[in-house]
Amino acid sequence: MTDQQITTDPAKPAQRMRAGGTTVTLMPWILAGLVLLVLPFIFQSNSALTIMNKMSITIIFALAYNMLLGQGGMLSFGHAVYMGVGGFACVHIMNASEFFSMLPLPLLPIFGGLFGMGLAMIVGSFSTRKAGTVFAMISLGVGELIAACSLIFVAFFGGEEGVSGDRTYALPLFGIEFLRQIEVYYLVAFWLMLSAILMFLFSRTPIGRMANAVRDNPERAEFLGYSARWVRFYSFTASGFFAGIAGAMFAINYEILTEENLNLVTSGTILLVTFLGGVGFFFGPIIGAVVFTLVQTVLSLQTDLWAIYAGALFVATVMFFPGGLAGLIMMHGPAAKLGKLHYLVLPYLKTLIPAGIGILGVCALVEMTFHVRHASIGSNEMTLFWTTFDSHSLMPWAVAVAVSVVAFWIMRRNLPELVAAWHQANGVAKDKL
Amino acid sequence: MDLIFVNLIDGLVTGLLLFMLSAGLTLIFSMMGVLNFAHASFYMLGAYFAYQISLAMGFWMGLLLAPIIVGVLGAGVERYGLRRVHQYGHVPELIFTFGLALLIEEIVQFIWGKNNVAYNAPEILQFSAFAIAGNSIPAYKIFMIFISVSIFIGLLFILTRTRIGMIIQAALSYPRTVEALGHNVPLIFMGVFGVGTGLAGVAGVIAGPTLGTFPGMAFVLGSIVFVTIVIGGLGSLWGALVASLLIGWITTFAASYNIRFEDILLSVGFSMPENMAESPFRDIWNMTTPQIGPILPYLLMIIILVVRPHGLFGKRDA
Amino acid sequence: MNAMRDMHIPALQIEGLKKSFGKAEIINGIDLSIGKSERHAIIGPNGAGKSTLFNLITGRFPATSGKISLHGRDLAGMAPYQINRLGLSRSFQITNIFPKMTVFENLRCALLWSKGYRYSFWHLVSKASDLTEGAEAILEQINLTSRRDLPAGVLSYAEQRALEIGITIGGGADVIMLDEPTAGMSNTETDYIVELIRKVTEGKTLIVVEHDMGVVFGLADRISVLVYGTIIATGRPEEVRGNPKVQEAYLGAALEAEH
Repeated sequence: MTDQQITTDPAKPAQRMRAGGTTVTLMPWILAGLVLLVLPFIFQSNSALTIMNKMSITIIFALAYNMLLGQGGMLSFGHAVYMGVGGFACVHIMNASEFFSMLPLPLLPIFGGLFGMGLAMIVGSFSTRKAGTVFAMISLGVGELIAACSLIFVAFFGGEEGVSGDRTYALPLFGIEFLRQIEVYYLVAFWLMLSAILMFLFSRTPIGRMANAVRDNPERAEFLGYSARWVRFYSFTASGFFAGIAGAMFAINYEILTEENLNLVTSGTILLVTFLGGVGFFFGPIIGAVVFTLVQTVLSLQTDLWAIYAGALFVATVMFFPGGLAGLIMMHGPAAKLGKLHYLVLPYLKTLIPAGIGILGVCALVEMTFHVRHASIGSNEMTLFWTTFDSHSLMPWAVAVAVSVVAFWIMRRNLPELVAAWHQANGVAKDKL
Repeated sequence: MDLIFVNLIDGLVTGLLLFMLSAGLTLIFSMMGVLNFAHASFYMLGAYFAYQISLAMGFWMGLLLAPIIVGVLGAGVERYGLRRVHQYGHVPELIFTFGLALLIEEIVQFIWGKNNVAYNAPEILQFSAFAIAGNSIPAYKIFMIFISVSIFIGLLFILTRTRIGMIIQAALSYPRTVEALGHNVPLIFMGVFGVGTGLAGVAGVIAGPTLGTFPGMAFVLGSIVFVTIVIGGLGSLWGALVASLLIGWITTFAASYNIRFEDILLSVGFSMPENMAESPFRDIWNMTTPQIGPILPYLLMIIILVVRPHGLFGKRDA
Repeated sequence: MNAMRDMHIPALQIEGLKKSFGKAEIINGIDLSIGKSERHAIIGPNGAGKSTLFNLITGRFPATSGKISLHGRDLAGMAPYQINRLGLSRSFQITNIFPKMTVFENLRCALLWSKGYRYSFWHLVSKASDLTEGAEAILEQINLTSRRDLPAGVLSYAEQRALEIGITIGGGADVIMLDEPTAGMSNTETDYIVELIRKVTEGKTLIVVEHDMGVVFGLADRISVLVYGTIIATGRPEEVRGNPKVQEAYLGAALEAEH
């Protein structure tokens, strides 16, 4: 398999229109900053802050991951280790009390970044010689190796219970000791903004542009004076740095790191998050991280089966929307430019609402099946969508099946209308070109 | 000496089991260029299907039917999933199989729960075949060796003596040419995918009773199978066989011989740190071979990829 | 940076070059010297080894034996990117651009190394006026200004070939190698591209591979004829055309290829 084959398809319009424009407008950044500032005033509860911190950390990690996957064309199955090692290093710094007491906490992430970057430089020195399958396999091997080592090298990784520290021993900054969750939120938000801006700017530098060039056509890049290997190496190193920062944020927020921060599950999750959001656009991973964290926290409160829904969503995304959520949004770009988005509103309502109801119906069937199979004998009662019923009787099954079938039938019937509206909204666009 | 013999048999069983998975995986990779992350999930499905069938019709019907069902399922995944994703390129393909692996694990948990299911070897095979220095070798292990070896011979026969085997062999080296010669390549792909996953199913059926049938079983074996075919060289059946046996024996021997690093370090001339509990290197001194056994295959793979990117027997780059 | 080069040293010197793939010897002993600012065409029937010769010179394949030097520097063991940095740039027989990037960005990428940006992560490409101006200038030269912000992958074939030439000259190399720049083009398109090549390689050393003698006749100062891995004649176009050996070998092989 050559390097070229492992890039995303040039024929997909969503990917063609990738973040390549040269006009850097400040507006989205200012807006994002304002949202981050205001959010804690809207969602004041501690659990909301917890979710938002988790989201921010995931965003940094996903953006760092997309520096590899989206911008550099390198698929990693072991990227958790760079975040993890950065985090572990930060916890150890927290425990080196003499040094830590002279260090303001907001500077700690720099160390996390440097450790992540250091590890990435070591691994990258041999793994970035090729892209494609070789890179993917080495990343998997290194990931598994370090995850397994965490149970052997107890001094650094703390074995099964991990290592924990205390962020409040840092040098207080303007009297802030980061005892309260809200203080941590603003610290994390600050680093989120800073890292996101830096990563965005990185994609606009010569090395960032060449990362795209090498992803698309490594051979041509070599005949332009660039070593594809070194270009990959620098992208990998930068990605390791920002993953390390994400790790530091994790260390500050949770004050404990375990083997879980290194293993394949975490590496796989970030792949899932990034791909769900869309690898073709800079902001894709941000959407992915926000949606995934919400789905994970909200859905996992509602049902034990959230992982099965997340898995199905992921597989469906890969199969039907390889551009991810960002790709879906950007598909509407041409129609929006022409001011014809309103053609789509009604058809969307007419198909998406029945589709949503149909999916909920199927979910109900799944939940009932699960209940029948796994609930303890005798407890036939279950509650679903605020209704309590006997899962062993025929009625709820008939209702769920009927609702799903009717809903999907309505969706199918309205689908041609949506297709026609889509053509109408975009068709004129073609004439104008 | 006797222990070596016991370990040789144990390693052989593990190795042959790995081979049944890696053979299918490497065939699929050579033909389609796809590393199927979900391959071990089909192995798990094999075990679970066999368990379900054995409840109603006994072990032998499970052995017969489960691999067929798994193979049909695999062919379906190729036909309706992979073929669709193929147009987007290789990264989405790899990601698709990765997602499929996650989904299958969740579905298995959904249907059969999170715990081990009681899937056992048939009673007719539950006796000790022979004993070496007090270590009895169960007949089931001999049965596993017998099944894997006959599958290997069957595969070898099909690949070298039949027409379809010739086409597959040709496609291993020159996939484009084979297509140009007018063979129905999509159908061959689907077939190879079905057979490959079916083989994984067989492995699951016979491994389930000894290694346990639980939702994590795919995860445990999944990455090792990858390591195996990368070490052996992608696309090389012989490489897959050699690498499988190599890994089978390495892990078995590492697990059963307790060599302490302390002894190695001392004999090389290092001196023991005075205060072991405080030394940052204490974990290296305390390391033992059973501890590092599981990571040896990964270490081996990284070394091989760095010094010889096409693996031991491979002709193409990974 | 190449201004101080000694006029007596040829731009490209090839001595005793051989290349075999397995048992098949594709290039069997080539000696060739191409002077500074010379326009040199290498012609020959299909399968004569022209593209292989190109790939050997540009470091894509290692030579079996022999020596290649660029401005007197031995290129042995160098990677393509190292050779490129010495001032040699090439195009490909099969269009080889960055299809997902815009036309403008393709050209900007071609400029990056020679403008000294290297692996910089402290410059923003949009703020670098020398890059923007340089890319615009090439756009102008290859007449693609109207296509500036389109993805390169959607351009017509001839436009893509023109872009490829633009990328090739973009790096400011003084030795330009073009591999069948007019392959697969209609007559009008061919005339257009040849004119373009003449314009953009003004004052540079040009080495162009063609199997169509007519294309290069007006373009080249000297022509070498490559048949079965050996150069059977080198000289001014009219000399080569009149050479009976060339007529026999080239026409014979061409006839064979047609049948």
